[in-house]
Amino acid sequence: MDYEVIVIGGGHAGIEASLACARTGLKTLLVTQSLDAIGRLSCNPAVGGLAKGNLVREIDALGGQMGLLIDSTMIQFRMLNKSRGPAVQCPRAQADKFSYSRLAKQTLENQKNLNLFMDTVTDLLTEQGRICGVKTMRGHEISAKTVVLTTGTFMNGRIFIGEYDHVAGRLGEEAALGLGDRLREKGFNVGRLKTGTPARIRFSSLHTEEMERQDGDEEIVPFSFMNDSVVKDQIPCWITYTNSKTHQVILDNIGRSPLYGGKITGRGPRYCPSIEDKVMRFRDRERHQVFVEPEGAGSEEMYLNGLSSSLPEDVQADFIHSIAGLEDAVIMRPGYAVEYDYLDPLQLKPSLESKLIENLFVAGQTNGTSGYEEAACQGLMAGINASLKLRNMEALVLDRTEAYIGVLIDDLVTKGTKEPYRMFTSRAEYRLSLRHDNADERLTQKGFDAGLVSKERLEKLREKVKDSELLQDLLKNNSYNCRNALEALKSPEVTLDKMAETIPAIKDYTPSVRLRTELNVKYEGYIRRQDKQVERFKNLEKIVIKPDFDWDAVDGISTESREKFKQVMPQTLGQASRISGVRAADITVLLAYLR
Amino acid sequence: MGAYRTDDIIFALATPWGTGALAVIRLSGDSCIQALSPYFKSKIPLTEVKSGCTVYGNLADLDKCVLTVYKDGHGYTGEEAIEISCHGGLQTVKAILEFLQKIGFRQAGRGEFTLRAFMHGKMDLTRSEAVAELIDSKTQKSRSASLQRLDGNLQRRISEIRKAVLEIMATVEVQLDYAEDETEPDLGYPVEETRKVLEQIDRLRRTYSTGKLYSEGARIVLAGPVNAGKSSLFNYMLNEERAIVSPVEGTTRDFIEGQCSIHGIPVRLYDTAGLRESTDVIEEEGIRRSRSLLDAADLILYLAETEKDLDPEITKRDNCIVVFSKTDLGTVGSVGTTGISIITGHGLEELYNLIEKKLCETAPALEEGDLVIQSSRQKDCLDRAYDALVSALEHNNIGLGLDIVAVDVKEALDSLGEITGEVTTDDILDSIFSRFCVGK
Repeated sequence: MDYEVIVIGGGHAGIEASLACARTGLKTLLVTQSLDAIGRLSCNPAVGGLAKGNLVREIDALGGQMGLLIDSTMIQFRMLNKSRGPAVQCPRAQADKFSYSRLAKQTLENQKNLNLFMDTVTDLLTEQGRICGVKTMRGHEISAKTVVLTTGTFMNGRIFIGEYDHVAGRLGEEAALGLGDRLREKGFNVGRLKTGTPARIRFSSLHTEEMERQDGDEEIVPFSFMNDSVVKDQIPCWITYTNSKTHQVILDNIGRSPLYGGKITGRGPRYCPSIEDKVMRFRDRERHQVFVEPEGAGSEEMYLNGLSSSLPEDVQADFIHSIAGLEDAVIMRPGYAVEYDYLDPLQLKPSLESKLIENLFVAGQTNGTSGYEEAACQGLMAGINASLKLRNMEALVLDRTEAYIGVLIDDLVTKGTKEPYRMFTSRAEYRLSLRHDNADERLTQKGFDAGLVSKERLEKLREKVKDSELLQDLLKNNSYNCRNALEALKSPEVTLDKMAETIPAIKDYTPSVRLRTELNVKYEGYIRRQDKQVERFKNLEKIVIKPDFDWDAVDGISTESREKFKQVMPQTLGQASRISGVRAADITVLLAYLR
Repeated sequence: MGAYRTDDIIFALATPWGTGALAVIRLSGDSCIQALSPYFKSKIPLTEVKSGCTVYGNLADLDKCVLTVYKDGHGYTGEEAIEISCHGGLQTVKAILEFLQKIGFRQAGRGEFTLRAFMHGKMDLTRSEAVAELIDSKTQKSRSASLQRLDGNLQRRISEIRKAVLEIMATVEVQLDYAEDETEPDLGYPVEETRKVLEQIDRLRRTYSTGKLYSEGARIVLAGPVNAGKSSLFNYMLNEERAIVSPVEGTTRDFIEGQCSIHGIPVRLYDTAGLRESTDVIEEEGIRRSRSLLDAADLILYLAETEKDLDPEITKRDNCIVVFSKTDLGTVGSVGTTGISIITGHGLEELYNLIEKKLCETAPALEEGDLVIQSSRQKDCLDRAYDALVSALEHNNIGLGLDIVAVDVKEALDSLGEITGEVTTDDILDSIFSRFCVGK
């Protein structure tokens, strides 16, 4: 046996998966098409954002790498949604995409037990329904006990720019051919999805005086719980708007769009529409916002966030030039759409292990998601579970009440997806307790149990919780505006910062301790209300359905639901109840049967 | 629910017991056609009759019937089914039911057909409740309320409310899913939309008491001194000679009851012993019972011949109508009271109107075609949705963040979902993407 684990792909999922395995002592190999593209931010040069920021902090709490990578390489930081309630605030950072990628590769290179190898995997080798290795384009057969598949948009990738199309995973990078077809033959349901990216333009050709300047926050909240502070020189972004002329150019040329012309069949994300989509769907909108974001500290390339397009290059140039500040923009790379194969995640167990091939784990965009953070957290969970399985330990499955990661994976393996799946706060039912600030409390112990989290990290969390309790005591023993300070903090308009003016001892505590204390006090009543729902949820999760359960033996279930149950093979009654289109009556019948 | 099984053939009389021209017996269950076929003589064998078609023949030499055949997936229950239309004589019906039992079919339990329909996804909860109430509903007007719901009218109305709440939710959620600089700056919390939907919910939930009145009916008690004509009115309202009427005081010694209908409201009517001091032990007991009946009444009709007959302890009650009887004999009450004569029919129509008005005082009057909430489960869901939205408004008012307000709106949505089916996060996202242009 050459390796214990082989990870296919060096994107954000592959990084986390390979590190998780190597760090838990398994001899691991990462095979990638290009060693120069490890951890590449191929679309938006940013990490985090609403809900996605939660994922990054959860990855960090479990002992993953993404939080540390972005903390070291960010060039702008903002805390989003400060005005809309603490539970839905989230950190977002612009990355220097070049140093991000370099640091990612460096981290992998320095990792004990981990080897990197450049080749393209063209087939999976199996023995009696179990994975035993991979076959590569250059003819290597490498054996392994476990394989984690994280191929991203590269399987049968094809890019489109107007009339031009080409077999590629990203502009200028070859697609991975063959693997998708081999998987089809092995019984995987393979679908097509589409996503897109905007043009990159040259900074020195912009008229920044015609755009709004958007600076980062003064205070940077680190993504990693291991960092107490991050100090960085920040680079601004710029905001401008499309106008009626922009829209006219697009409408006049819509027939040349591969999407509207019918060349692309894969389904694109509704939440990340191309500019032609926005113009066509919301005709009465006078303008759409465009964020001009730097791709890195040492580069002139600027990312046109909001102008994703697959229109021909001359049309892209025309509509870009119609926008204030971009009149003379020099286009360095065109925008394009990419269509790629993905594997139906309904064929996965909640541990991300394939139901078809034992010891094969699948993670990232291959499962129909979109976004670096979504990919990374799956990579981490797949890596953890691959490692746990090889060490004969029980899989780590996070549930919907524990983490956004749990919500994401449960959605994928229970409902599947028809469009690239992105995390949203509205997907999480219990988000008052799934905040970015308490990800460490929710997950550090689990990461420790899985062997990924250091003693030092666990100790740091204990310190934080202890300090927070001390701060609560301090409040209990002080008064503020003639009221008990702890009680006063419950009012929406009172903050700890304001209190610190009259109770200076508050300032002795670190920002993360203050934040935790403040939110716990303010949300206590609402969280308690949510706890009741959590309990109901957990009760349904407790009713386990065995993997060999005979669905045909249950009388009174509709045929339609029965088919769905057989396809998803839910592991608990709770999961069964979340399968889309399953009737409540069938769940009642199932419940009666299981009892 | 657990006791019911769905793997055998059940049957039940679908029309009311009693002598009518026709009776319908319904059979449901896998291979019921096959099972009944040997006992039915017809030109085309029962097994070859197309689904949805009828066939005439002789059923086990008991009766000449018309059978309607529903193959798998058709029919009310979604199962294979047969409807037997036979002659309505009690003896015939009884004989057929006994025969069905003998050949191994099972008499259906209460609501079992509906349960099967529900289990096979033929109807959602709102509809199956409506069916149950239709079976129970006692008079014409409440039947029309049930029928309307069966058409899905209530479902449509609640769906509309649900859609409105979903849009409120989407407006809130879009601001939680997208950053400040990506959404319209002035969105905020949709206060006006919330007020509007609160009004809709309130209007719908208030029809519950009306619905209850029409399906469960009211209890009306006749009271008054001896020989005031209570029994005459009782017989008149029941349209039959039930109470013994005589000029002798104290003829009615115990209460008697009957069922009637006043402008569509099912009424349980009680005639009581006249109220007077009595030495007769039996009559005394009757009077005692009369008093406890009065306390349980929805409405009391107090009959008297003159003002001095009035017992203020009763006539001062809110739910009491004073009726001066025997106007043909020259009885005249004070202004604003009602006078009737059973003999001439004088004032009876006015009395009926007054009864209806009085009973509907707590419940908004029911126009033909108005929507009515009849089950307490639905009422309860609407109440909870209403309270949750009120709390959303309050929380928004005192300046709590949208993340908290969203919890209230979600609770409202979930409560409505208990009537129409669950609201999933995908529903919310669908609403967001169809209404807001978001995403970079």
